[in-house]
Order: sequence, then structure tokens, then C-alpha cells
Amino acid sequence: MRELWTMTRYDLRQRIRDRSVIIFAIIVPLALMFVLDLVLGDLTDPELQPTAVAAAAPAGDPLAAALVDVVRALDGAEGLDITVRTAAADEVHALTRDGTVQVGLIVPAGFGAALQQGRATEVTLVSGGGTGIEQSIVVSVVRSAVDRFSAAALAAAAGAEAGLPPADLAVIGQEVATAQSTIGFTEGVASNEQLSSTGALVAGQAGLFLLFTVGFGVTALVTEREQGTLARLKSMPMPAWTIVTAKALVSFILGIVATTVLLSVGGWFFDVSFGSPPAVAVLIVAAVTAATSLMFVIARVARTSEQANIAQSIIALVLGIAGGAFFQITAGGWVGSVLDLNPVSAFIRGLGVTSGGGGITDLGTPLLTMAGFTALVLVAARLIPDRGAVR
Amino acid sequence: MASGDALQGASGPDDVLVAEGLVRRFGDLTAVDGVSFRIRRGETYGLLGPNGAGKTTTISMVAGLIAADAGTVTVAGQRMGPAEVEPKRHIGLVPQDLAIYPELTARENLTLFGRLQGLAGAALTQRVQEVIELIGLTERAKDLSKEFSGGMKRRLNIGIGLLHQPTLLILDEPTVGVDPQSRNQILESVERLSVEGMAVLYTTHYMEEAERLCDRIGIIDSGRLQAEGTRDELVRLTSGADVIRLVGTGDTAAASTALRGLPTVQQVIADRHALQLTVNDAPAAVAQIVTSATAAGMSLADVEITRPDLESVFLHLTGKALRD
Ligand SMILES: Nc1ncnc2c1ncn2[C@@H]1O[C@H](COP(=O)(O)OP(=O)(O)OP(=O)(O)O)[C@@H](O)[C@H]1O
Ligand SMILES: [Mg+2]
Repeated sequence: MRELWTMTRYDLRQRIRDRSVIIFAIIVPLALMFVLDLVLGDLTDPELQPTAVAAAAPAGDPLAAALVDVVRALDGAEGLDITVRTAAADEVHALTRDGTVQVGLIVPAGFGAALQQGRATEVTLVSGGGTGIEQSIVVSVVRSAVDRFSAAALAAAAGAEAGLPPADLAVIGQEVATAQSTIGFTEGVASNEQLSSTGALVAGQAGLFLLFTVGFGVTALVTEREQGTLARLKSMPMPAWTIVTAKALVSFILGIVATTVLLSVGGWFFDVSFGSPPAVAVLIVAAVTAATSLMFVIARVARTSEQANIAQSIIALVLGIAGGAFFQITAGGWVGSVLDLNPVSAFIRGLGVTSGGGGITDLGTPLLTMAGFTALVLVAARLIPDRGAVR
Repeated sequence: MASGDALQGASGPDDVLVAEGLVRRFGDLTAVDGVSFRIRRGETYGLLGPNGAGKTTTISMVAGLIAADAGTVTVAGQRMGPAEVEPKRHIGLVPQDLAIYPELTARENLTLFGRLQGLAGAALTQRVQEVIELIGLTERAKDLSKEFSGGMKRRLNIGIGLLHQPTLLILDEPTVGVDPQSRNQILESVERLSVEGMAVLYTTHYMEEAERLCDRIGIIDSGRLQAEGTRDELVRLTSGADVIRLVGTGDTAAASTALRGLPTVQQVIADRHALQLTVNDAPAAVAQIVTSATAAGMSLADVEITRPDLESVFLHLTGKALRD
């Protein structure tokens, strides 16, 4: 144990002096995030314009008010800037026509009652010209809110058949509708496991470069052989496994530090929040463990540091690209299943969950994926005939 | 093998190293083929052989870096092997290829390996300082070893092996690529350590080093120990004859005939300007030989005396020269 820590400590000291690990594990990926954001940013993340909405809702109708609130709640979410002003139903057309507002929303009189009684009712959306993405967002949000409200009203109707007084029914319907609307909104982000495009960029590059960073450990192992120090280490009074384990530990520590720095600096720079720090920390540890396990395979196949570098780069690029470090890849069938067992995509998906407000308990799938990957790789490392550096 | 039967004796309490019947193959090549030898406390043992003889492979098995395909190594009474830990406490290895970390200073290199050897605390600090002085790197102790000259790196490489004062110090061609001054320094330290009682296993393909340092020498070629013994024992394995070479002009044919008649001269080989004589004791015979050659009408330009050395022993045993 003492030897393990001694080797790890002196190895880290050399990495820091050598600086290449700092450059390749932190500076290059940060620079790449910046460049990719410049290149891809315009395509995927258009600047959202401030949007004004004029909403007319009948007074004394709680469901109508709730619908307007749903639109109002969009303000501030995902970079949207939405201002809702209330107006009389006949004013809405005028306001949209003269461009004062970009979207008009008219909730008809008797909206709440109609929903509760299961009768047809019609919400009018007026477009104020132009085809902005902001308008589409408002429109689709209103649509899905109305759908949810109908479902809620059906629940209330079922209650009515059960003999509840109408006053209570109105409250139930309203509760179901508003409750679903708030829960539904957060869930929309978390369940899709979707990061914003810059969030995905930061997470993807962090995941990709993690695979390169842990590679420094295995390259170091082969370098030890080439510079002759491995022979000397093997003549020391300590079990042989401590040598490989020390390198794995170096990889692990470098991986943890680099990924934490990349997510923090990248998140700060691009204004992305990855959510609960403990949950993110768990994800980082799992991803670094999975990446480090690869080291044991490469240590068994690579005889020179060139071979180790090439093997490491191929694995990093394949896993990184397949895992969506640059763009999302979707595939079905067995290809999809293979792609799914990828620590990079699990890492990105996990960060999607945490950034959507998910905690450690919501990370089941990504954590299992990474644990499964680690286990498979370690088994493979045992099975592959050893022709590597540490024989 | 010349002195193989000497090895059949029981292992003595003084034996620091016993290597028996070591074999190591690499694919079809048998790099080491049945090598046996032993080293006693305080003894310096040389493995002398040309490139590719199997010296490093033998040492790798002795130090427990690689497994032997057959045979055993016992260090300080304990069985040595790649998975063994205890016997490795007794050895200090100085690998043929430099084994130092370029991004660490001399002091850090020593401290790192000292710790791995089990030293700690004040004892470690003190030993590191002693070794730094011993290898003459006091001024450069705080410099990264990648900035060192070749000779300084070699000295550091040796220092690391000495740090924990091993029972058996193993040096694999420590003077290769070193300037004469550093080389002399290295040889002197090995001599001093031997005086202090350390057993040393020293490989080289320089016979002068083997002659100067080693109490006993094993001559190794093609993976086999061809002969073993003290320098004098080994030299006696050859015919033991000295060679006198007379270079000059005049009547070499007459001189050749005259010299053949001398009782001390065993053989004469003549060419146009030189005569090569095989004699028993050159220093004793040379005066009479020169007188006879001159009297027979040869005018001498040069007289060379060659006494048998390990080089001739090697030639005698293997039919080839030690150096390539
Ligand atoms: N790892 C290896 N794989 C294959 N062949 C090897 C290996 N190590 C040594 N050999 C071969 O074994 C033979 C003995 O090599 P070894 O290094 O022991 O010689 P040596 O006496 O130390 O030579 P030198 O004076 O050049 O250091 C050589 O033919 C060498 O090519
Ligand atoms: Mg060698």
C-alpha cells in the first residue's frame, strides 16, 4: 500500500512537471469546446428573441387562468424571454396585427366548464406574423397544456359520476391540471435526458477527453518499460500488481480532476448548470472508473508507447463519436444496444438527468451502463492473452 | 563446462547467490542454456561475454524480473522469482539500460526508489545524502535528471542500486558509454563496496574490467557458461603460452631457423617482415631471442610481447574474439 501511494505520488509529480497532461486533458478540450461552440452554435442554438403574448381569458375561470399561467411560466426557461399581457378577447387580434405582440391567445368563455363537462371547446391562437421558433414553442406548449387539461377534466368527470358535488369537482380538475402542468414541465427535460446544445457540447467533450486522459496512465506504463524503469520497479520488494495499480490510480486521479475542471469551467463559461453536485460527482466517478478500466486492456495488448497511443485514440474516438460527443447518434436494433453500452453516452445522458433536476436515485440507467461497461472490459482484460508491457 | 563439478558441492552458509541450471528461451532462441554459478559474501563475480551472450537475460532471472524456464535462483537462502517479494529486499539492481525518471531530480529519484526498497524517515534522508556524495552529484542533486550528462545519469543509475545497502549488488554493464574518468570512478566505487563486504555480480564485455574487479569470472557465450574461475585459473586453461612478435628487415629466414633451435621457443610463424614466436615465459626468454635474431642477420624495428589474458581465454574457448 505504501509503495502504491509512493509510486502514484511521484508519477503525478512527473505528469504535472511534464505539463502535457494539463495541456491535453484540460486546455485542448476547453479550446475545442469553444471552437465547436462557434462552429455548431449557430446551427443548433438560435438566439431566442423576446416574445410578447397577449392573452384573453374569461374572468372567474380557474382553468383558463391556469392555461395562461402555463404560458407565463415559459419565461426564463431554456433561454426564452416571454412577456404575457392580458387583454380583452377582441383586442387580441388588433395587438397581433399591429405587431405589438407576436402571439395571441384567446380562451373562450365557458372553457373550464366545457372541459369539466367533457364538451368541445376551442382555444384560439393568433400568430402575429413571422415564423419565429419562439412562436412555435408557445403554440406547442399551449396545445399540450390543453391536452393535459382535458385529461384532468376527464378525471373530474369520473369524480362527478362517483357523486361528488360540482364545487369539489372544479377544485379537483384544477388541481390535476395545474399539478400536471408543473410536474409535466420539469419532467419534459429530465425524461428526455436532453441537455441544451452547449450543455451537450461541454459534457461530450469532457467525456471524450476523459478517455484520452486516462490513457496517460497506460502510456506511462509502456514508457516505463521503454525508459527502463519498469525493470527496476520489478526488482523492488513489492507485488507486481502494485505497479499496474499505481498507474491505474494515476489515471483515475487525473480523470477525476480533468473531468471536474472541464465540467466546472465549461459549465461556467457556457452558462450551463449540470445540476446537483453530488449526483454529478457520482457520475464523474463512474465514468472515470469505466474509462480507467480500458487501461487494463490496452496494457495487455500494447508493446510500445506508439501502439498504446494509437489504441487509446481509436478507442476514445470510437466511443466518443458513438457516444454523441459531437452529435447525437441514434441507431436501432443490436447496433443501438451496443452503442448504448457506452460510458460516454451514459455520461452525457446522466448529465442530462442531473441538469434536469434529477438526483443520484434518478441515475440508475447511466450508472448501470457504466458499471456494466467496466465489468465487461475488466473481464476482457483477463481473457486477452498478455503480450503487453508489464509481462 | 570447465569447473562445473566445483558447483556440485553443498551450498555454503556464505553463499549470497546460488543460480542452478538456469534456462530461458525466447521463441526458438535459447538465450540462457543451463547456467549455474554461486557468489559468496563479499565476493565480486564477473559475467564476461560478448553482445547477445545471455548476460542480461541471466541477470533478469537472478533479480526476479523474468521467470526461468528451468533452474532455480536462491538469494540469501530464499527462492527468487518474479512473484517473490522477500528475496528482492537483498538485491540492488543496476540495469544495463538507464532506469531513472527524467522528470525527477537526482534526489527525488533516489528518494522514490529508497522508499520502494523499504527505507523511510531519517534513515532514508541520510542514505540519500550519502549516496549523492558517493556518486559525486552533490552540486546537481536538485536538478532534473533529464538535464544530466550521460555519465551523470549512469552514476545516478548506479546510486539507486546501492541505496538500501543490498547484500547482493547486480551491475549490468555499468560503464558502457561512459568517459574514462567516470568509468574509473565507477570501478573504484565497486571496489570500495566489495571491500565493505557487499557481494557483487558484474557483467561486462570489457575484459580489463573483469580482470580488475572480479574475484571470480564466468565466461559466457551463446547462453552457456564456458568456463569459470579466478583470472589465473582461466588463463591456465589456454596453452598458457606467451607470444613474442619480432618486426624488422634483413634475413628473416635465417633468423627463423636460428630461433627454431632455441629450447624456449615452441613455434615460429614467419611472414615477410615479422616473426611470431610462441614461448612459455616471454619476459625470461626475450633477451636471448632478440640476441639470436640479430646475430642471424635480422635488424629489428619492434618487439611486441603478448601474454595470455581473458581475451585469449575467450578465443581459446569459443574460437572467436570477445569484442565485435
Ligand atoms: N525479450 C526478448 N525477446 C526475444 N529475444 C530476446 C529478449 N531478450 C533477449 N533476447 C535475446 O537473447 C539473447 C541474449 O540477450 P541478452 O540481452 O541476455 O545478451 P547480453 O549478453 O546481455 O548482451 P549485451 O552485451 O548486448 O547486453 C540475444 O540473442 C537476444 O536477442
Ligand atoms: Mg545485456
